[in-house]
Amino acid sequence: MTQFRPGREVMVVGVGLHAFGRFPEQGLSDLARDAVVDALRDSGVPWSAIPVAYFGHVYYHGMSIGETTLAQLGLTGVPIINVENACSSGSTAFWQAYWGITSGVFDMALAFGAEKVPSGPVTVTAENSPARYIGGDHMMAGYALRMKRYMEETGAPASALAQVSVKARQAASMNPYAHRKETYSVEDVLNSRLIADPLTLYQCCPTSEGGAAAVLCAADALDTYGLDRSRAIRVAAAALTSGNYNGRGSDHSAFSPYRTEPAALQAYEMAGIGPEDVDIAQVHDAATIGELQQIEALHLTPFGEAWRATEEGRTALGGDIPVNTDGGLLAMGHPFGASGIRMVHETVTQLRGEAGPRQVENARVGVAQCSGAGDVTTVHILTR
Amino acid sequence: MVVSVDEKCLRLTDESGERGVLLGMRCPNCGVCVFGPATFCQSCTSADLEEVELSTEGTLYSFTIVRVPPSGWPGPVPYVLGEAELPEGPHVLAEVIDCAHDDLRVGMAVTLAIQTVAMDGVAGSERAVYKWRPA
Ligand SMILES: [Zn+2]
Repeated sequence: MTQFRPGREVMVVGVGLHAFGRFPEQGLSDLARDAVVDALRDSGVPWSAIPVAYFGHVYYHGMSIGETTLAQLGLTGVPIINVENACSSGSTAFWQAYWGITSGVFDMALAFGAEKVPSGPVTVTAENSPARYIGGDHMMAGYALRMKRYMEETGAPASALAQVSVKARQAASMNPYAHRKETYSVEDVLNSRLIADPLTLYQCCPTSEGGAAAVLCAADALDTYGLDRSRAIRVAAAALTSGNYNGRGSDHSAFSPYRTEPAALQAYEMAGIGPEDVDIAQVHDAATIGELQQIEALHLTPFGEAWRATEEGRTALGGDIPVNTDGGLLAMGHPFGASGIRMVHETVTQLRGEAGPRQVENARVGVAQCSGAGDVTTVHILTR
Repeated sequence: MVVSVDEKCLRLTDESGERGVLLGMRCPNCGVCVFGPATFCQSCTSADLEEVELSTEGTLYSFTIVRVPPSGWPGPVPYVLGEAELPEGPHVLAEVIDCAHDDLRVGMAVTLAIQTVAMDGVAGSERAVYKWRPA
């Protein structure tokens, strides 16, 4: 049952990024601060005017890292909330910023996220957990299980999945912020090192470092703060869900509507639009199979057909439903706390018509979907 | 005596550490059954759950050959990770043993196997671990 009562209209008035990659000389606070400063400059809002801030991150860098980060900009006494929601930490921070404004409590809010993800396979459970003996706590092995099942049920060839990575790199080659900018072929992807069959290295997103930030403002307060209405992008929907029982539990099934679909349906209802109205989408492509499953769960293609849409180039720049136009997790990289806001950054940039060589012509409606452990899903819809 | 890797998931039925049953929790209210411990039903939130012994036979729902193991993995590399679907409903993730990679098939019948595993060089770390093998 959906329980929400949207209030004030909310706009994104500024976005900022710290490049994604590896930055051994910089601490988490440096990455976060640079993204925040970038977003504040983009919005024209001074830090002293921000009444509340939400910081998404996963790895521990000491208590109240959001507070110590923003203290570098000046001590203004505002509430600062540290948010952990796995890979959706950044998008959850953005969700909270939206609800803080739409509910009427605040005129503006800052959402930001940053991460320095250690290298190597990502695990979810604690070190002494039985899962270590079982061998099942392995994020990419989980994707591999879904991929095997998907290929079995849909008949998708390995080359169609590899094409997701090829497409991501093509987009990223036009994005100065991306962790991985070199392009490659389907053969390169399939011939890269096997991580967990049938998933090869180039079909897994790199773990990365980076930062992202967004400044939000109530539509009815834009004039009060002298903000540029022509560059403001409307948040038409903000949905956040956790696991929803439907008999599948945490199975690695070929389709994952039970994870993303409830959040997608909520978001479409809030925005008063349907999937047919979506011009661009940023989805959680931690592995190639993830992109296909999310496209289907968002109803952008029928279930079992996203691989075909990918093969036909429909999800590439220049296709009818471009997906992950900045390179996605696969090529931008995946600093957990930053990724969800990075998707908002790309959506806003596209809807403003400021995406340069990656620009999707006449993009008016963009969806940003982010997943995290615990079956956390966020779906945000932005419109021009 | 070897102890179970997780007593709420695997109950050993003799001293050898080679025999045992997987445990689940079933909701008499709505019939939903899950693998391992649960206090509340995931479907109807009832707290009136009963422990059940799960079938030792299942079918392979999906599998992967893990070439880059997670940290702390005490077994051989590569290893096969399989997701078995049990007749009671739950899917159980475990290593698939005694099967050549080329013989792995989605839908193949698998049966429960229990093996003792120790963390490399850690005294007292022996645990009886549930696995799947071709039926
Ligand atoms: Zn029940």
